[in-house]
Amino acid sequence: MRKRRLRRIRNRRAALAIAVCALASAPVAANAADPSTPAGAARTSPASLVIALGLRDPAMGAGVMRGGEVVLARGFEVELAKLLARRLGGRVGRFVELRPAVRLLAGPPGGGGWQLAVAGIERSRPPRAAAGLSAPYLTTDAAVVLRRHLPRPRRLADLRGRVLCAIRGSSAARAIATVVRPRTAPVLATRVDRVRELLRTGACDAALVPAIEAGRFVRGHGRELGPVAGRVESGDGFVVAVAGGIGPDVAAVDRALARLRSDGTLGRLARSWLGIDPARLRTLR
Amino acid sequence: MRRVRLAIPAAVGACALLAAAPALGGTDTRRLQVWFLRDGEPVAVSRVAPAVPSLLRSLLAGPTRAERTKGLRSAIPVGTTVRELTISRRVVTVDVGARFAAGRDEASLTARVGQLVRTLRAVPGVVGVRVRIEGGVPIGLFPGYDLRRIVRAPLASQAAPTLRETQQLLVDLGFMARSGVTGRPGDETSVAVLAFEKWTGMPRDGVLDAAVVKAIARATRPEPVRREPGKRVELLLDRQVALAIVDDRVERVFHVSSGSGGRTPAGSFRVYRKERMSWSVPFSVWMPWASYFTGGIAFHEYSYVPSYPASHGCVRMMARDAPLMYAFATSGTPVDVIQGRA
Repeated sequence: MRKRRLRRIRNRRAALAIAVCALASAPVAANAADPSTPAGAARTSPASLVIALGLRDPAMGAGVMRGGEVVLARGFEVELAKLLARRLGGRVGRFVELRPAVRLLAGPPGGGGWQLAVAGIERSRPPRAAAGLSAPYLTTDAAVVLRRHLPRPRRLADLRGRVLCAIRGSSAARAIATVVRPRTAPVLATRVDRVRELLRTGACDAALVPAIEAGRFVRGHGRELGPVAGRVESGDGFVVAVAGGIGPDVAAVDRALARLRSDGTLGRLARSWLGIDPARLRTLR
Repeated sequence: MRRVRLAIPAAVGACALLAAAPALGGTDTRRLQVWFLRDGEPVAVSRVAPAVPSLLRSLLAGPTRAERTKGLRSAIPVGTTVRELTISRRVVTVDVGARFAAGRDEASLTARVGQLVRTLRAVPGVVGVRVRIEGGVPIGLFPGYDLRRIVRAPLASQAAPTLRETQQLLVDLGFMARSGVTGRPGDETSVAVLAFEKWTGMPRDGVLDAAVVKAIARATRPEPVRREPGKRVELLLDRQVALAIVDDRVERVFHVSSGSGGRTPAGSFRVYRKERMSWSVPFSVWMPWASYFTGGIAFHEYSYVPSYPASHGCVRMMARDAPLMYAFATSGTPVDVIQGRA
């Protein structure tokens, strides 16, 4: 009788121990099942996202790299990442840097340790680590900045007879060659200051600069330069990369971006950080 | 003998290090430079500072009241703190508080790193500066600086463009032909400067001094007085310049000297006669590259083109410019002679 009771207690204890062991090992097993899950992501709760940033300039994204994470992060993409995380029902756990050189080397999806990357990624040139790409949140079009007193062009054809300038080798220079195709050879400079100088002095009639930089290009030079008259489409855009398996659903990111766009938040962010909302510039065709 | 030869540079090096030591961390009081800004350009002021920490404190404190009245400013935000300062292998590592990166003005952000680097690099013995913020590496926060690396020199100041750069600007603005960009001073540059001075209302001396260089660096392309399509010439009697215009764009601004005492009449004319070598009967003088636009009045080359109206009615031009005007002002080209700019 006593022996039976003791056996029952022992069995219960064994069952309890097995249950505890099973519970304790469950997350480990889950991680072991998905070898692509990065260590960084495992440290964060599902509602806490690890977001990769590009860290290029103070307007788009910049910060301080400390102990493998980005602190004091700020810029358009930083604010967008925070808003996106909130709309996805979570928050930013931490920011990490997505270095341009690492982008191409990143192995399996999520290998970069991030779940979302808001890092100036062009749709046509995504990082290998990304499994999904969202709809564009910003255009990579080239903005047309005029010299003073030049009448606003209505069509691309109005630019063809003008002297255009851009940074040599830039996407804007490519847009001049492939989309605008002016009759006179464009003036290509190596520095943005020189492009501004060419425009100010009237050595060129219109400068093509990346639309995301147009606001900063004219800021503080309003008296010397003409207006930002429109944009030349590139057919590409900056997208959010979603790490496969561990990131949120791409459709959910798209929905969140669409809401941010429709309620004007994206435009306000762009005006605040970039000085201009590229989406509102008239497309020259 | 060979040992002596080796010993001399070694001794010189040791002396340099000993001289640098007090400045880097010692207690000897000495005058060191702190860099601030005037009109956005770096300016050095001297401070009595025993070592780098006190020098840094002087920089963060900003210009004194007296210096502020002289226009000195600092781009470093008030309240910026130094968390840590270390010197190793002649490289100063300065870890500042987050306030150092406050603000969005990119020029200010770049300027403050420039101030910090200039100030620390001016300390004898310091060869580089490593900037840290809250113990981390700032990335992308300060345009123009890669702070992942040791900064060995600040970004070049735009305060003093080279002569070549200024000549290029004169070409860009339409005051000089491309052939004038030589990097050397010369007659072509002086004439272009004179035309620029006339256009902007500066004293007409043709000298490329600091004020003129500054004005050129900020100038915009001259605009025609009237808006009309096609090719035409505007002669501005008050400024003593002629503008060659195509479709409302001023292609060139020429230094000219028109008739003294109002002998060049204002009005709208057209070039009606052109003579490669024209003989002036009343004054018995050759007038090369002559383009007549009213009566006996023409644009032509002349050996003396002062900065004021000096001719008997014609428009004198420099030998280098006259052929250009001759080629531009073909027969029938409108010439608007305007007394004063509207």
